[in-house]
Amino acid sequence: MAARSGSRTDDSLTPLARAEGVTRRYRRGSEPGRVGRLFGRSTPPDVTALEDVSLTITQKEIVGLAGPSGSGKSTLLHLLAGLELPSEGTVTFQGTDLGSLSTRKRTRLRLEHVGIVFQHFHLLDSLSARGNVALPLVELGVSKSERRHRATELLERVGLEDRVTHRPGELSGGEQQRVAIARALVTDPTLVIADEPTGELDTETGLTVLEQFERVADDRAVVLASHDQPTLDIADRVVRLCDGRIDEEATVRL
Amino acid sequence: MSLRTLLARWYGVAIVGMRRTLARTTHTARQRVRFSVLGVAVAITLLLVVTGIGMGLTGGTTVQDDGIDYWIVPESGGSSSPLVSTDAPQFGSVHETAETVRATEGVDSASPVLSQVLRVTAGDSAEYVLVVGIVNDGGVDQISGVNVTALSHHDHYYNDGEWTGEVALSRSAGATLNVSEGDQLTIAGNTSFAVTSVDGDATTTVGDVPTAVVQLSELQTLTGASAHDSADQFVVGTNDPAVREDLEDVYPSSTVNSRSEMTASQTMDSDLSVALALTAFVVAISIGTLFVVTTMGLELVADRTQLATMSAIGLSGRSQLGIIAVQILATTAIGGIVGAVGGLAGIRLTNEIAMRTLTSEPIAFSHSVFGLYGVVVAVLIGVCSLPVLLLVTRRVTGGVPQ
Repeated sequence: MAARSGSRTDDSLTPLARAEGVTRRYRRGSEPGRVGRLFGRSTPPDVTALEDVSLTITQKEIVGLAGPSGSGKSTLLHLLAGLELPSEGTVTFQGTDLGSLSTRKRTRLRLEHVGIVFQHFHLLDSLSARGNVALPLVELGVSKSERRHRATELLERVGLEDRVTHRPGELSGGEQQRVAIARALVTDPTLVIADEPTGELDTETGLTVLEQFERVADDRAVVLASHDQPTLDIADRVVRLCDGRIDEEATVRL
Repeated sequence: MSLRTLLARWYGVAIVGMRRTLARTTHTARQRVRFSVLGVAVAITLLLVVTGIGMGLTGGTTVQDDGIDYWIVPESGGSSSPLVSTDAPQFGSVHETAETVRATEGVDSASPVLSQVLRVTAGDSAEYVLVVGIVNDGGVDQISGVNVTALSHHDHYYNDGEWTGEVALSRSAGATLNVSEGDQLTIAGNTSFAVTSVDGDATTTVGDVPTAVVQLSELQTLTGASAHDSADQFVVGTNDPAVREDLEDVYPSSTVNSRSEMTASQTMDSDLSVALALTAFVVAISIGTLFVVTTMGLELVADRTQLATMSAIGLSGRSQLGIIAVQILATTAIGGIVGAVGGLAGIRLTNEIAMRTLTSEPIAFSHSVFGLYGVVVAVLIGVCSLPVLLLVTRRVTGGVPQ
């Protein structure tokens, strides 16, 4: 699969999201409490998932994140989406430092500007396909008729016009992922984050989903993490991560 | 955010909450949600059964029948003249007053009522029976579920006539004393009573209270109430609501109650009934709340991935709390509906079992309003559970969906 025609990798374009010197550490286990300290329980060790990573996502480009499991791809995506905050360094979105925003403001920023596609789809199992796609529009206060219209239109674009009233449990993996893609795009975000979007799908289904993903993503900036070369083939450039660091030599511009 | 947008948002939140509740109850999380519904339903069922039995205890001694529309009762705090001070306030000169009431335009029937629990002996059987004295004017066929058509009219003994010795028994009294029509009875040591009928519609009363109806003046003679010609209350049958104003002028320190007011008033006046109903209410709220907090709390923890997903796609904490609040209230309301049906069925079952094993009449009171009461209490359980569950929601939401 080829990259989108007319590659939009252009340094003169305005940076949309930027990670600068980002390090993310996780504590393995919980902090000891007062009683724990009294009994000599020590602070558990930290695990570094990302170390001193810098990356700029410009508008309208597709960036692929490649690397083995545990290399920090998902962590970097979560940081760019504001789902987590870095231990060190800064992540900015349209010039705003995400670390300076409250949880509420970061959630609002995701609602308005970021669409997320998860590897495991993460659809709400009690809502229909249309209900799942329309859910972010509820938060925006969009009227019921408009929500239905926009959700149905997007489901049609991903080829699920005959599945709008089905619940996730009644859909195949590929169909669920297409619903997740429609949900990520329903608010017309400027950045789409996709974590292993074909990771749960067989090769053929994965290719179909990717085609539709590329088609409906239009001119949005996309950051996708994947092990899968055909998935990375739709990217304008691929950044390879290894042990939490960017492997500069392996960064490829397509 | 404009008002219209805000309304659209909260309407959407409510719809999502309702859809999630229905889907989870019927499809996606049946086991867990049904457990919560069941917990509330059991609490509401018990509440209604206990309340029904409590009200049944009150209704047992209520002089209440289809032909009676108004009750004139003394005000409990009344201190002025026409009331005779005994254990409870009573009316005096009741025969004369009854004539006056009957003469009122629109009144079909009226009778003073005196009630006493007395020892009644029939052969070897001796039981305490609720003895009710009335002036039978032919306007009412039943008093307290006892058919009184066989009693002679106008209380001749009061008008210097002969002692009639007539006593009409309820079926339960007939069964308890093992007597039938024509048998002799001794009431409070007076041996001159004969059973004129053992009949009545058991469904018009609740509570297994064996009841005997006699002429008012004869009961007054047995109990010493003849000195002031006293009675506890008046019952009036009429089709004209305007009569009420006239009835209010009969005695200065009296209250005129309609059917519904009488039921409410007697229920409130009965300490035992109120105590039972209140206890059932408090227990239902406490147990129901603890149950819902536990089961829905576990449900929320199990649901944390979906809550995290909502955060990830941009749903604010407030909207998530709104969705969860709707889910909790809808779940408890469903529990309330199930519990209300169960409660009404439970009352019926209680009466059925009681009538087959212990009594000859229903012991628990039932009314369709109980259904509404059950649902309202269930929603109240939901409201009481909200603070803890919303706190749990705040703790488990956010982060990266796993």
